[in-house]
Amino acid sequence: MRKIVFAVGLLALLLLAGCAEQENSVDFFAMDTYLSIRAYGADDTLLQACKTRVESLEKKLSVTEEGSEIFALNENGQAALSPETAALLEDALALCEKTDGALDVTVYPVVRAWGFTTGEHRVPTDAEIETLLQLVDYRKVLLSELLASVPDGMMLDLGSVAKGYAGDCICALLRDRGVKSAILDLGGNVQVVGTKPNGKPWKVAVRAPEGEEYLGILDAQDEAVVTSGGYERFFIDENGVKRCHIMNPETGCPAESGLASVTVVGQSGTTCDGLSTALFVMGREGAEAFWRAHGGFEMLLLSEDGTLFITPELSERFEAGNYPLEVICP
Amino acid sequence: MKTKTWIILFAALAVLLAALSAWTLFWGSGHVVQLVQDGTVLREIDLNRVTDEETFTVAAPSGGSNTVTVQHGRICVSAADCPDQICVHRGWLTAGTPIVCAPHRLVIRTAR
Repeated sequence: MRKIVFAVGLLALLLLAGCAEQENSVDFFAMDTYLSIRAYGADDTLLQACKTRVESLEKKLSVTEEGSEIFALNENGQAALSPETAALLEDALALCEKTDGALDVTVYPVVRAWGFTTGEHRVPTDAEIETLLQLVDYRKVLLSELLASVPDGMMLDLGSVAKGYAGDCICALLRDRGVKSAILDLGGNVQVVGTKPNGKPWKVAVRAPEGEEYLGILDAQDEAVVTSGGYERFFIDENGVKRCHIMNPETGCPAESGLASVTVVGQSGTTCDGLSTALFVMGREGAEAFWRAHGGFEMLLLSEDGTLFITPELSERFEAGNYPLEVICP
Repeated sequence: MKTKTWIILFAALAVLLAALSAWTLFWGSGHVVQLVQDGTVLREIDLNRVTDEETFTVAAPSGGSNTVTVQHGRICVSAADCPDQICVHRGWLTAGTPIVCAPHRLVIRTAR
């Protein structure tokens, strides 16, 4: 009898332990996208604080919102930035440099000319692109302490790193308050804190360009999984050519690098966000060369003909769906 | 007596587990979807109860609209006048990832 009481007691204890960290979630629209945060052991106040944090970031970084620091910089050619915006700009410029301009935070006027900011899609003339490209060069963005300046007509946009940075901020806030288990989805950028409550890695599904399918499932722990692809925002031009929203800063045209999507996995959401765009522009060979030269992140490339290329470490924790998989040589 | 008690205990546990898995299988997993506009649930649809295809329009408060198509077991945004068309390109809803139209603040997701 005593044993039974003990067994029942143990069972009850296990059940209770499972309930201790309750799941709580919040979802909302910000930064032109849909964000959802699912955390264990976080109360409503903490989740609300996460939401407020993102909204205040958006107010600083938005390229279209009058009154944002970036808006002021673009409007006046110079602006005194907050320490946070200045630090993010510095990181973004370092990424532009590291990727040799495959990522360029000044490509906005070109994106706008193609109609991706308004939805009125069009193919600009060669002359128009030529003129606009003279305004594209991250090296002309000057940052000294908190004072930033850009040449006349140039426009800075931190959209390529902002979502990743917002994810980093939310993760930091959650960790600070003792949360050991959380998963964030910021419009396709997935970032996880710790593991699932049961101690196993989070399962992150990497979306496939074709509608409902997944490229595969990835085990993730304390990291960001960011995918850039040409399949979400695109239009078909008069000649039937698909034009995606990711611009090649060198040509001023949508990137046509033979890749359908790029997924970058690493510690920093900001870096993964910026790199996923840059590697998409570089194409498979460029991306592989960049990874060999710099490392510090893992990646999964999907070529337009439907083959996956994956870095060795990542391949050990990736379960591919219906796509052939090739491991990239180190 | 001792063995009997154990058998009863395990049998009870087994029945409980079976009931629990049956419940999650048939009622728990997502065939009930919600249409949510800026945080407000506009409509809930049990996709398994849909017999005939239905198409309806959801108007956005800021102007514009999304056309939603529902068939037995599935749902998608079939047309929209938003600038990016991400919701349309997305295709049918799959468990886990909601269909989102950020410009119109519309989310179609499986009910939790």
